[in-house]
Amino acid sequence: MAGTAAAGRYVGQSVKRLEDPRLVTGHGRYVDDIALPGMLHAAFGRSDLARAAITQLDTTAAEALEGVRAVFTGADLNPHNDSLRASLYPPTSPAPPANMLADGDVRFVGDPYVMVVAESRYIAEDALDLVEAEFEPLDPVVDYETAADSEHHVHPELGGNLAHDVAVPNPTQQEAFENAAHIITETWHQHRQTNVPMETRGIVASWQPHAGVMEVWASSQSPHEMQLVGARVLGIGEHKMVVHFGDVGGGFGQKMFLGREDMAVLVAAKLLASPLKWIEDRRENLMASNHARIEQMAVSMAVDGDGCFLAADLDQLEDDGAYPLGGPATPGAMAAMLFPGPYRMGPVSWRARTVYTNTCGRGAYRGPWQMESVAREQMIDRVAREVGMDPLELRRRNVLRPGDLPYEAPTGLSFETTISPEQTLEQAAEMIGYDEFRAEQAEAREQGRYLGLGMALYIEPTSMGMGPLGTESAMLRVEVDGSVNVFMGTGSHGQSLETTMAQLVADELGVRPEDVTLHQGHGSGYGFGTGGSRSAVIAGGAARAAASGVRDKVVAIAAHLMEASADDLEVADGVISVRGTPAASMTMAQVAATAYQNSDALPAGMDAGLEHTARYKAPPSTHSNACHMCVCELDPGTGKVSLLRYVVSEDCGVLINPMVVDGQIAGGVAQGIGGVLYEHCVYDESGNPLASTFLDYLVPTAAEVPELETGHVVVPSDTPGGHKGTGEGGAIGAPPAVFNAVADALAPFGAYPNRQPLDPDTVLGLIASASD
Amino acid sequence: MADQKSLSMTVNGRTRRGRGEPRLTLADFLREQALCTGVHVGCEHGVCGSCTVLMDGEAVRSCLLFAVQADGADITTVEGLAPDPETLHPVQEAFRDCHGLQCGFCTPGFILSVAAFLEANPDPTDDEIRHGIAGNLCRCTGYQGIVAATRQAAAAMRAGE
Amino acid sequence: MKPAPFDYHAPESVAESVALLDEHGDDAKPLAGGQSLVPMLAMRLTRFEHIVDLNRVDELFGVAVGNGGVRIGAMTRQAVVETDAAVAERVPLLHLASPHIGHFQIRNRGTIGGSVAHADPASEYPAVMLALDGVAEIASASGTREASAAEFFESTFMTAVAPNELLVALRFPSWERPAGFAFDEIARRSGDFALAGAAVGIGTDGQGRINRAAVGMLGVGPTPRRAASVEAALMGLAAADADAAEIGRLAADDMDPVGDVHASAEYRRRAGSTLVGRVLADALAQLRKEAGDG
Repeated sequence: MAGTAAAGRYVGQSVKRLEDPRLVTGHGRYVDDIALPGMLHAAFGRSDLARAAITQLDTTAAEALEGVRAVFTGADLNPHNDSLRASLYPPTSPAPPANMLADGDVRFVGDPYVMVVAESRYIAEDALDLVEAEFEPLDPVVDYETAADSEHHVHPELGGNLAHDVAVPNPTQQEAFENAAHIITETWHQHRQTNVPMETRGIVASWQPHAGVMEVWASSQSPHEMQLVGARVLGIGEHKMVVHFGDVGGGFGQKMFLGREDMAVLVAAKLLASPLKWIEDRRENLMASNHARIEQMAVSMAVDGDGCFLAADLDQLEDDGAYPLGGPATPGAMAAMLFPGPYRMGPVSWRARTVYTNTCGRGAYRGPWQMESVAREQMIDRVAREVGMDPLELRRRNVLRPGDLPYEAPTGLSFETTISPEQTLEQAAEMIGYDEFRAEQAEAREQGRYLGLGMALYIEPTSMGMGPLGTESAMLRVEVDGSVNVFMGTGSHGQSLETTMAQLVADELGVRPEDVTLHQGHGSGYGFGTGGSRSAVIAGGAARAAASGVRDKVVAIAAHLMEASADDLEVADGVISVRGTPAASMTMAQVAATAYQNSDALPAGMDAGLEHTARYKAPPSTHSNACHMCVCELDPGTGKVSLLRYVVSEDCGVLINPMVVDGQIAGGVAQGIGGVLYEHCVYDESGNPLASTFLDYLVPTAAEVPELETGHVVVPSDTPGGHKGTGEGGAIGAPPAVFNAVADALAPFGAYPNRQPLDPDTVLGLIASASD
Repeated sequence: MADQKSLSMTVNGRTRRGRGEPRLTLADFLREQALCTGVHVGCEHGVCGSCTVLMDGEAVRSCLLFAVQADGADITTVEGLAPDPETLHPVQEAFRDCHGLQCGFCTPGFILSVAAFLEANPDPTDDEIRHGIAGNLCRCTGYQGIVAATRQAAAAMRAGE
Repeated sequence: MKPAPFDYHAPESVAESVALLDEHGDDAKPLAGGQSLVPMLAMRLTRFEHIVDLNRVDELFGVAVGNGGVRIGAMTRQAVVETDAAVAERVPLLHLASPHIGHFQIRNRGTIGGSVAHADPASEYPAVMLALDGVAEIASASGTREASAAEFFESTFMTAVAPNELLVALRFPSWERPAGFAFDEIARRSGDFALAGAAVGIGTDGQGRINRAAVGMLGVGPTPRRAASVEAALMGLAAADADAAEIGRLAADDMDPVGDVHASAEYRRRAGSTLVGRVLADALAQLRKEAGDG
């Protein structure tokens, strides 16, 4: 059933990126490159204590410093906002108090409590040193495992630290457990990590008092979230918010929503009526932007004598920090529902809780609910070990096969017939040479070398078609000279949409990709932006529909002008020709010029102009799937783990640009490798972040990431074009695959890891405690 | 407050003059006064490599130098690497060919580091490439395209000489 | 993340430099390569009213051979130490240690004197200096004095150099050959500070008996450490008989590790002594190779 959907002239090709000429020559325009006349600079004073009352705050000396324009406290700024609610977050749900700056007390290290506006960032930071603040320390809530029971409350207004508690028991699950041959139980822990876009957050806001317009440049994944929520914060209409979208240096979820600092800058810029810039520094980014993956899932799995998965019981707990970015979320519920993943599984009971702590707020990070794959895939390897079965064989026994599809998971999710978990499992096993590896591994052990292989198989719900996420629009206009401008609500920040959307438009409309320019931000129609593996399907659906609408008109005009039948015309690379008679042709420019400048020559009754707007509504979910396999070597003397091979077999449906797809996978895999082996936002017991520089927060370098081999299974989805989302997948599959590889290498020592990071110290400790 | 110093250096072949306090970093001078916004500031503590420039031909972190220290120096930023506006340097070309960039923020620093690395190691092995470029961080590409681009650029630069 | 203001001085001689340090005392800080100092200034973890930039003091740069060893000016860039032929031949440990310092962009600016004077216990040159009994030349307004490596490193980030003094050069002895040298370290990522590291030199008499053993360690104490027990165990042994792994384990007794976010003290002790054994094995292999070649 592989790939019948048409690859086009450009779709399916590794077209070189249209973004690159400017980016490789230093001519990108990121938010910090914006300089406006009279622009001022903001810096935030942040709490050094995890929880404390502010007993004194005197800004007199700071205000008196030459070059300082204003110093704002929470009392100054907070009353000016209308609502800080992110658009995904229901207004009725309980939430931390809405404030831009801490007022009265601080609730995590990094909590901003004062904002200085000065002529330069240097002076603004000088002024922060002059702010006289005194704090009375309070006992912080740092450990999320005990937060729910703590007598100390992160947000006293909420009366407790439990943010969410959802439980969905399944009575038949108990029954299945009673009849199982094996019940295996483990609690799997992830640890605090952060997104680390290479460009930190940042915003430039410029208020035009007489027009009542706020003009904004922001490092954002979602210019329309900035437009909508920014307008709400300022108490103005969205038609008075002009959000420019330039180059954005990565986000991985961090730039989907407005931060408290973004809102403070908007409000301050309006109060001061001066252009105002804030560029987050790296320390702020690492300690106060957002953290993620602070979670654990207790899993019990019932398995029969043949290794078939009978039932599971799940208990998920996640740390929301103090001020979760984008609002308190419940990815745990999603993780639980997705737990069965690409396997046949009996009844599942689950509970998911989220708690507040006096730490940096949780935010979305590439694959925000990937705990489902982490817990399931690590659990399957554990089951294999407990029942004495090969982990690949165990997966083969339970994996969903084409004959099982469509499939309704016991947690209520439905999988369409267009997923291919079994195919990707087999392709990955083939690529890595599974049987040969097992022989090599045994041989290596004879020589005192410890190799391990890990695998992870998953299904990812991409391109979710509900609520604010459900649609995207494209406004496409062929200009008089035949070139094409398309305006979309996306926020490409590395995903190559300027190229991939141009490829889609090029094929659908019949032009070359380089004839198409994508415009995002101001002037585009509402869209949720770029994130959630949604752009290929949802934005792509809109681009395709807009292009198709224009193409129909192009053909009609050309047919009229050339006195040919529309059915006989083909359009490619900006030339409309009569099929079989290439000499009979005209250019897109000629058609466009007619549409705009000689409209009397158009077919009778046809509207002048050559433009079309389309909005695409996605189905509830378009599932992609993949299998990761990797091989590591563990040095038992130092505990260091090196990855020797990494293989991904994936199915994202029809590939728009294979080079871009491989790049998305590779980036996610590197983040997963980083998460398991290197990265950790460590807090001490008092709630001090200990990894607030790049010397302590260890993003992997080229030396830590192995060569990646990718294979593609192409089962087109039912959406237009047959695409599926692929942006997050790498970061979903990699953590459990890497973890399982290390666990496999540790098996000869009798060690059973259940938490990350698997840094050298931890690994050596596991070996030591297993041999005790 | 410390005195402003007058500054003069050659940036991409042209003399650039300016003023600044001694604490003004070279990165900020290049961005704000020489208007080379291709110099990206990613960490300001010398780890990420985004702000890498060539100073008198050697790759350095411009966030760890004060502009006053570069007074009289010859600086090349990514804007000055290509021979002319119509042509890309082989390293720039290779980054585009091999998808060595996604968001593009780390890219200028990487390109200058790779150019300097290949100058010293014209025919590196893959392992030498991986360790040689480990002083620059990228969060998007997983380094696959960057390693491939370095390979391609090495071959192109050897062939071009 | 911007540094606080300071007055900037760019002296062109040692005399001028020490005069500035003498005048400003604690309020002044010499700026060498800036690869450690500037981040601390940028984060405002430290601040000085006066920065004395040594980068225009020509007499502080360069490698000179003589007096049975090598004299390296304090401002000599790590990249120069790494590639200098005289250093590679006469003090191989410096050559072997250099690539482990950060990344090449760091070594293009970082200096040997800056690294030694900063005295980070996890950095490479201090351990090499200690292992080889290097000597520091220290200047002040009242003249020049010397300090042995053993005296030099007082505690973490603290050295024998007073605020009004300037480290001007380091001297390293050349060893008689054949000898074997090796350096390695455990770091979280390529280029990171060492969790533990070792610099080993082994020399033998005409009969192949070890008569010289130098083992410096980094990352396993508040200062660089010497593995005296390992050195003692090696002396007088036939090089061919030395059980490197077994002897290396003795190094644990010579460590006084401090835990941090990257590794516990216990890890540093355990993995560090394994590493000492491995580096010792490498040094012995180099010795065999050199003796065979000779």
